[in-house]
Amino acid sequence: MSAGPYNYSYIFKYIIIGDMGVGKSCLLHQFTEKKFMADCPHTIGVEFGTRIIEVAGQKIKLQIWDTAGQERFRAVTRSYYRGAAGALLVYDITRRSTYNHLSSWLSDARNLTNPNTVIFLIGNKSDLEAQRDVTYEEAKQFAEENELLFIEASAKTGDNVEDAFLETAKKIYQNIQDGSLDLNAAESGVQHKPLQPGRSQPQNTPNPTKEGCAC
Amino acid sequence: MEDVLDESISEEDLRKFERRYHDSLTQGTVTQDIQFNYSWALIRSKYQTDIKRGIFLLEDLSKGGNEEGRRDYIYYLAIGNAKIKEYSKALGYTKILLQVEPCNQQVRTLKNVIEKRMEREGLKGIAIIGGAALALGSLIGLGVALARK
Repeated sequence: MSAGPYNYSYIFKYIIIGDMGVGKSCLLHQFTEKKFMADCPHTIGVEFGTRIIEVAGQKIKLQIWDTAGQERFRAVTRSYYRGAAGALLVYDITRRSTYNHLSSWLSDARNLTNPNTVIFLIGNKSDLEAQRDVTYEEAKQFAEENELLFIEASAKTGDNVEDAFLETAKKIYQNIQDGSLDLNAAESGVQHKPLQPGRSQPQNTPNPTKEGCAC
Repeated sequence: MEDVLDESISEEDLRKFERRYHDSLTQGTVTQDIQFNYSWALIRSKYQTDIKRGIFLLEDLSKGGNEEGRRDYIYYLAIGNAKIKEYSKALGYTKILLQVEPCNQQVRTLKNVIEKRMEREGLKGIAIIGGAALALGSLIGLGVALARK
C-alpha cells in the first residue's frame, strides 16, 4: 500500500469540553486551520473537525468533537463523550468561574468515557496575562490531584495549541503500546487501520472558503 | 467517518431522549428544550424515518420557538435534510443562517459538506435551478424572524 498523505494507521476520537466562551472552538480552529477566529459565535450543538498528525512515525487521524458549552445543550453533548480516546477540558485563565466548574465537567468526562481516556486540562487565553484570574500553580496542582495532563495555551497566538493536541495523542499511543488500552474494547475511541475505499478524500486540509467574507 | 453527516447516535441514547419526551408529553410538560433534545437525537439516527420525525419536530419548534433557539433549530434542520438527501432544502437553511452570521465557520463548513455531497452524487446545479428557489421561498419568513433578533 502506498503511503499517500491521506493514509493513516489509527483514528483517535477526541472531545473538547468546558464552559461557554472559554475558546473551545477557537482552539479547534487554531489546530485544524492554523487560524484564529476573532468573534467566534457560540457553537450550535457540536462542531466537528479532523486533522492527520504523526506520532512515532505513525499517521493518526484525529476526529474531534467540539461541544457547545451552553447548559441547554449539555444533555445531548454528553452523548458525544462515549468512545472518546482523548478529552480536552478547557477553562479560561481570565475567568475564575470557568475554572471553578472544572470538577463538574471532569466528573461528566470520567463517568461517560472509559477509564483509559486521556484527559488534558487546558488553561486557554494565556496571552491575556494582565487579566489572569487563575494562577498556573493552582491549576497545575488541580491537574496533579486529578491525574490530568496540563498546559496553558492561547488559541489567539497559537501558543501551545499543537502541544495539547499532540501530547494527548502521544499519551493515547503510549497506552496502546503498553497494552493498557484495549483496541478491541467497544469504546476505546481508537480504530486501527481502517479499510480504505478506492479513493480517499483529503479531509485534513482546510476547507476553501467560498464566501467572499473577510473573516 | 468523514464529516458531521456521517455520525450517528447510539440506540440507547436515542431511547433515553425518546422516553424523556414521551413522559413529558403524557404529563403535558414538554418544554422546547426537551423537544429540541429529542429532535436532535432523532436527526442523528441511522434511520430515515427517525430523521424525518426529527425534522417534523424541529419545523414545529421553529414556527413558535424562542429567538435564541431558532438558530439551533435551523442548523439541525439543515443537517437533517442533508441526511435524507434533501440537499436544496438543507442549503436553503444554511443560507438563512449565513445571512444573519456571514462569518459563522460552523455553518460555512456544513454548507461545504453539503455541496461536496451534491457534487459526489452529481446533483450540483439541480438545486440552483429547481428546489432552492422553492425552499427559500418558504423559508424567508424564518430568515426575517431570525434577522430581526
